[in-house]
Amino acid sequence: MAKKISRVLLYLIVALGALTMLIPFLWMISTSLKSGPETIKVPPVWIPQVLRWHNYVEAFHAAPFLRYFVNSVIVTVVTTVGQLLTSILAAFAFARLRFWGKNFLFMIFLGTMMIPGEMLIIPNFVTLSKMSLVNTYGALILPWLASFFTVFTLRQTFQSTPDQIYYAAKMDGASDWKYLWTVLVPMSKSTITAVTVLEVIGSWNSFMWPLIVTNSEKMRTLPVGLQAFTTDAGTQYQLLMAASTFVIIPMVIVYMFLQKYIIAGISKAGLKG
Amino acid sequence: MKVTFKDVTLSYDGKKDTLKHLNFQIPDGTLVSLLGPSGGGKTTTLNLISGLLPATSGHIYFGDEDVTKKDALARKVGMVFQNYSLYPHLTVRDNIAFPLKMQKVKKAERYKRAEELAKLVHVDDQLDKKPGGLSGGQQQRVAIARALAKSPSLLLLDEPLSNLDARLRIEMRQEIRRIQQETGVTTIFVTHDQDEALHISDNIMVLAQGTIQQFSTPTVLYERPANLFVAKFIGEPVINTLPADALKADLVSSVPASILAQAKTAGIRSEAIVPFDNGQEMVAKIHAGLKQARKYGREATANLAYNGETLLSTEMAGLPASQTDGDFFLTKAGFFLFDEKGALIFGGDAHDE
Ligand SMILES: Nc1ncnc2c1ncn2[C@@H]1O[C@H](COP(=O)(O)OP(=O)(O)O)[C@@H](O)[C@H]1O
Ligand SMILES: [Mg+2]
Repeated sequence: MAKKISRVLLYLIVALGALTMLIPFLWMISTSLKSGPETIKVPPVWIPQVLRWHNYVEAFHAAPFLRYFVNSVIVTVVTTVGQLLTSILAAFAFARLRFWGKNFLFMIFLGTMMIPGEMLIIPNFVTLSKMSLVNTYGALILPWLASFFTVFTLRQTFQSTPDQIYYAAKMDGASDWKYLWTVLVPMSKSTITAVTVLEVIGSWNSFMWPLIVTNSEKMRTLPVGLQAFTTDAGTQYQLLMAASTFVIIPMVIVYMFLQKYIIAGISKAGLKG
Repeated sequence: MKVTFKDVTLSYDGKKDTLKHLNFQIPDGTLVSLLGPSGGGKTTTLNLISGLLPATSGHIYFGDEDVTKKDALARKVGMVFQNYSLYPHLTVRDNIAFPLKMQKVKKAERYKRAEELAKLVHVDDQLDKKPGGLSGGQQQRVAIARALAKSPSLLLLDEPLSNLDARLRIEMRQEIRRIQQETGVTTIFVTHDQDEALHISDNIMVLAQGTIQQFSTPTVLYERPANLFVAKFIGEPVINTLPADALKADLVSSVPASILAQAKTAGIRSEAIVPFDNGQEMVAKIHAGLKQARKYGREATANLAYNGETLLSTEMAGLPASQTDGDFFLTKAGFFLFDEKGALIFGGDAHDE
């Protein structure tokens, strides 16, 4: 009986938590369907009198969103794939290979994680402008192709796979390269999925950096493009929210698609042994 | 394939020699066990053969070819690890086919071979499962099939049965023997279980403290142990040992005085102490007290009190239960004398070639 009550309580708390998370999204969708005056009405209204679907059409035409979308996709995909590639190779080197200065190098990289990202903005910008990359995909992508956080996470996973599997692969005729791609990477699927999701979301939502290194309309990404609705005359909230809605939809789809893998990965890790 | 070690030494740290000047030859097509206590250097020896470890000095030959400088990839031997080490993300079929995939064998062909091997080791009904869904014995079989996939001329197994329960262990050791005989592959089998080694091997190499104590057939190992260590390590129950001095008075008529003078320890197998003269060649007749006689089915054991020592005999069938002491005979087979260094100086003659 006590067990039942605690179970009900647990569900209640979880449901409450989920609802709290959902409220901003619901508010966004609700606002995106309002008229201008309705958005700032006090007390706030949840259901607009008329559902103005036309806001979406208007928002979409207010700025070259298709172009922004393409830019965002290119930047996110290239950044994520590139970063995964460099991180997997580096993590393997740190986890398995023997080379001179390995531990020293690792400590230095670990040290770089202490540097706040904001401090890197100016030096990175200067470097990229010297390379004449400002306002190109290069500027949007290059600084993010290496991430020590990802290297570190993957190294931990790689290191926890048994040595004997490595030796077995050696005996089976796998070179280090083959071992990495045919054994170690598939075995580390859940960690790799997790860092991929983090990177995709981070890259898609990135605002500050694209804002700094792009100034032409053509190179903007979606989050930067949302600024179009904030002018000197004020912010058109209903359009901003409509645009925000279609900006996050791809992420929701990506998440729903990957969720299966994430949960499968976690539950498999838990049942193992 | 014949494997030869010429004066091979291995040191992990450059100071202490883990393996000391090993010299041996494993004939083609045989099953050889590396037997010895834990820490004796069995895995190290195996890793030297596989190429996972380079020798500190000396030479290793496969057939006539010197492979000392070649690494594991180049030596192409098959190996089964103690914990099987199957790839958890691959099905049984893909696990077995993995070495062939590394050799770029076409998919249809390598799956065909995987299925043949699965049949050989009796896991052909498990091909689509992942290793996590198999029992220990099945994983073991898959590991053997995988090691055989590239048709190695040498198969190495490192304590492959130690993770299995007793009944399965006996079944699997017969399986390994069958598979070895069906494929004819030269096999080196590591174990610390003397019973396992005696049952499975053509030849047994006893390794302890980094040196070969004895390398011969199971029969010779049992009937003519080269030293006290081997005598004590091989055989169940463990051989009776007692100071030779305690026994000398009863041995003067059968053992030459010069040998008796050097003898430090006597070893008597429990089946070498018999209650009646059964016509076998005897080395001594001893008078001993009889205590704790027990019967297990056909077998009857007893502890004998002799000159302050306790001797176990397994041949006490037919003795009246009331008897408290008597004369017992020591058969020549199963009776040994060792000198101060532990080397055999008397006994085991029946197997002189
Ligand atoms: N990688 C290693 N580094 C240093 N010493 C080792 C290593 N592997 C084994 N040894 C030592 O070498 C000796 C023999 O070990 P091993 O060959 O594993 O014995 P066995 O397999 O017969 O139990 C042991 O004393 C062990 O501690
Ligand atoms: Mg070992």
